[in-house]
Amino acid sequence: MLLATGTYLTLFYRPDAAPVIYDGPYEPLRGQEMSAAYESVLRISYEVKAGLVMRQIHHWAALVFVASIVAHMVRVFFTGAFRKPREINWMVGVTLLVLAIGMGFTGYSLPDDLLSGTGLRIAYSALISIPFIGPYLGFLVFGGEFPTEGIISRLFVLHVMLLPAIVIGLIGLHLGILWRQKHTQFAGKGRSESNVVGKAFWPQQLFKSTGLMLLTGAVLALLGGLVQINAVWNYGPFDPSAVSAPSQPDWYVGWLEGAIRLWPPFEPTIFGITIPSMFIPGVVIPGIGFTVMALWPFAEQRFTKDRAMHHMLDRPRDRPVRTAIGMAGILYVTILTVAGGNDVLALTFKVPIEAMVWFLRIGLFVVPLLGGIVTYRLCREMQSSGAHPLRRRRGVRLRRKPDGGFEEVSPDEARSGV
Amino acid sequence: MKGARWIYAAFVVSMLASVGLVTFYFIGESAQVEGVLLGLALGGMGLGVVGWATTLMDVPTETEEREPLGPGAEDPAASEPPLAPEEVTRRKMLVRVAGAAAAAMGAALAIPALSLGPRPGDRLDKTKWTAGARLVDSLGNPQRPADIPLNGVKTVFPAGFEGEADSQTVVIKVDPEVLELPEERAGWAPEGCVAYSKICTHAGCPVGLYRAEARELLCPCHQSTFDVTRGCEPVFGPAARALPQLPMEIDDTGFLVATGDFPEPVGPSYWNMDVSGDEAGCSSGSRSDSASNTGPARDCERSFPITGRSCSARSRCFASSCCLRPAPI
Amino acid sequence: MSGLALALYFSGESVAQDGYTLEGSRIATMGQAEEDEVDGARLFANSCSSCHGIDGEGTDNGPSLENSGEASAHFQLTTGRMPLANNDQAVRKEPAFDDEQIDALVEHVGTLGEGPGIPEVDLEGADLSAGQASFIENCAACHGAIGAGGAVGNEALAPSLSAATPTQIAESIIVGPGQMPRFEFTDEQRNDIVNFVVYLRDEPRPGGADIGGIGPVPEGFVAWLVGMGALLAVALLIGSHRRKPAITGAHEEGDAA
Repeated sequence: MLLATGTYLTLFYRPDAAPVIYDGPYEPLRGQEMSAAYESVLRISYEVKAGLVMRQIHHWAALVFVASIVAHMVRVFFTGAFRKPREINWMVGVTLLVLAIGMGFTGYSLPDDLLSGTGLRIAYSALISIPFIGPYLGFLVFGGEFPTEGIISRLFVLHVMLLPAIVIGLIGLHLGILWRQKHTQFAGKGRSESNVVGKAFWPQQLFKSTGLMLLTGAVLALLGGLVQINAVWNYGPFDPSAVSAPSQPDWYVGWLEGAIRLWPPFEPTIFGITIPSMFIPGVVIPGIGFTVMALWPFAEQRFTKDRAMHHMLDRPRDRPVRTAIGMAGILYVTILTVAGGNDVLALTFKVPIEAMVWFLRIGLFVVPLLGGIVTYRLCREMQSSGAHPLRRRRGVRLRRKPDGGFEEVSPDEARSGV
Repeated sequence: MKGARWIYAAFVVSMLASVGLVTFYFIGESAQVEGVLLGLALGGMGLGVVGWATTLMDVPTETEEREPLGPGAEDPAASEPPLAPEEVTRRKMLVRVAGAAAAAMGAALAIPALSLGPRPGDRLDKTKWTAGARLVDSLGNPQRPADIPLNGVKTVFPAGFEGEADSQTVVIKVDPEVLELPEERAGWAPEGCVAYSKICTHAGCPVGLYRAEARELLCPCHQSTFDVTRGCEPVFGPAARALPQLPMEIDDTGFLVATGDFPEPVGPSYWNMDVSGDEAGCSSGSRSDSASNTGPARDCERSFPITGRSCSARSRCFASSCCLRPAPI
Repeated sequence: MSGLALALYFSGESVAQDGYTLEGSRIATMGQAEEDEVDGARLFANSCSSCHGIDGEGTDNGPSLENSGEASAHFQLTTGRMPLANNDQAVRKEPAFDDEQIDALVEHVGTLGEGPGIPEVDLEGADLSAGQASFIENCAACHGAIGAGGAVGNEALAPSLSAATPTQIAESIIVGPGQMPRFEFTDEQRNDIVNFVVYLRDEPRPGGADIGGIGPVPEGFVAWLVGMGALLAVALLIGSHRRKPAITGAHEEGDAA
């Protein structure tokens, strides 16, 4: 869906930051100066037939695309499908996640509207904040001091040519490795480490996959037509001295936004080098985070001393430590993402922003810790009882004794059906 | 085929929706209609295909043995004859030299990437504000103190540079009694009008929110809050550096003018920025356009052993400054 | 106290929203039942002076109203912000006084100094585009690009602009109530902004449902809840093991390869 709608949009979009005067049907902006890029997006939304629905499908598809990658990654993690011989494929996958986020960011910055332009400014500041090479890197990537006219066309090349080429290549690699290694499977009747049980790829699996693609397209088409998204005409063209509130990036960059918001005002100078307050949350923490994610299979091998090949999937409960750590990680990223929208939360729940920030700062450490511990205990519980704790019967079972009175039925007897 | 009727129906619905889409393109325009029709077209087809695959196809579950993977699985080396010692050394040399050549070529091919952008120079240190520059609003109208209402806020630029991103400035008029500026900057706020850089020192967003009763500027991006009465010191949020204050006075014709550039770099911090905040103190070069100073280096309160630089902290921010300005890169 | 109870009983006015009784206005109304005209000074003395001082000079509980002008009083009273319900930020609620009383109070406050009068708002011929540009430059940082409101820190909330009348919008720009700063515009510029704010309420949403209109936060929620939720249902549908229907007649047709 992204490729199809994206190609369509490319035919109408102008990646040009040169100023033009708007003369189209959207009255509140008529006569105002804006970049040709922004003007072309207005034209797509208001003048090109089917343009708006294509644009909206494209944006919804981007949000759901990254969400799907995350859901898939979480599944692979909790079932241990990244173990030997699939470590390389896992790293390809993490790379794909990073690239998908990059594609999203470059994509929503193309309309050059007030909201995405504010995000570009923050990205520029993040680059500048890197010690030693920061200012060079910022000027290099943007082509000068922010704001530059060249950045839009550079983002366009990235978004339409370079990044898709790499992504498609890596997806090909990802699927190719999968094809060669064959997919993993849960334990079951007739299944072992040395075989694969399932329906043939042709025609069954291919049809199912095609069906999935079509139905996904249907969901995205419905969203794209029925729910308004990224109404850039409301934000207006980018103006470096103006800003609107609330200002957030798309959800998959929300964790980065939250990290930057929650970080305390800590800006030390070490040996004459200033470490700007947005360097650590904006550059270091994401770098560490993605590196840990990518190298996880090797870390787990080292800790569990398990370097055997695995083609069978784990049930998450059978690996309580990994599951607990994974859960803690998910909670951590979730809280950061929620923190990215803390002003919207403050408005919705009528809580002062300052209280919200402190609440989230504390929650960032407490919730993953507690969540990890609870998850670990739940796993252990489920391993021993063999049943889902929520579906487990509460209370005791009683049996009437022959001489009157009641006695308790022990769990073993209950299970064996006595 | 009873159970399969829905599959036929799904395909038919899809067909009708597609025809509807084509028709609608010519007769109207509505994202909602287009989206729903497209959804039905794709969804009907999808349901049909899935139903076909799962319900109708009578394909048995198969079991396939895995091929052995990993080392030892294929052994191509075993089929080659072993190399003689001289061949091994020569091959090693060749690999090394070829590798070095490839690395060097990589660097050579990558170097034009440096054409992507200019060197920063001192562009991050300076703005377009100069001594004598009038404060104008976004339409170019010069501002008198009376043009700014009490408890009001206005975005201004240096005359001739309206809209210039790095020079964006907010002017706020407060009751002069409540101002608690550092003494060397007290004269920068005539008639209660104080001017600060609008670029947040955290991540560069325009600090556009002003809470008039609290006299605090709030940046909407990450909620950094600055106290206007005390030189825009950050009081909440991730910003660690005060917003630089613009030195201002009223000229002979009654308009507000700047008396120089900001004393510190505007916007987010970077690794080698100079926040000494006073042009007269540093011995090598000054930041404003005034004549170069010849005063001695000030007594510094802090010094760093490795670089040998001596620094003084002028404001309450965490980044301290260097009196000896680093040579322009 | 019995007098007050009688007043409440006979006043015929319902208790105000949110459960507070507005004793000042009850007493005032009762006392004036016989008079034809509403006495602004007396109303002020009964309802406002406990916080604002008998001459509007201010007390520990309320700011001075000197030079605040008719515009300020009219805004605060018609939006119901004053009388204040509690010590939090003044918010829009049901006005405590009727039109006649408000006019009288406004006139009285106007005599307390040299403040701005109630502005004349004329939306005829207003420039929508100029209004949009001014709005984004001055208002959107607190009130949001579509005037949906926002949290501005320190427990203050910039309200949604959907309920305000054109006059109230113009007054708030001039007066800068509460944490809002003041803005100086020509009448024409101000009319442009008011016109744009009014336009925002009925602005067509060609893309479909609004979901708040405040950008990526609700969009992200919908992407996960609706989008991924629907896809989960799709996955369950595809993956479910279905019994094959009985095929009567020749069964070679329809069989897969």
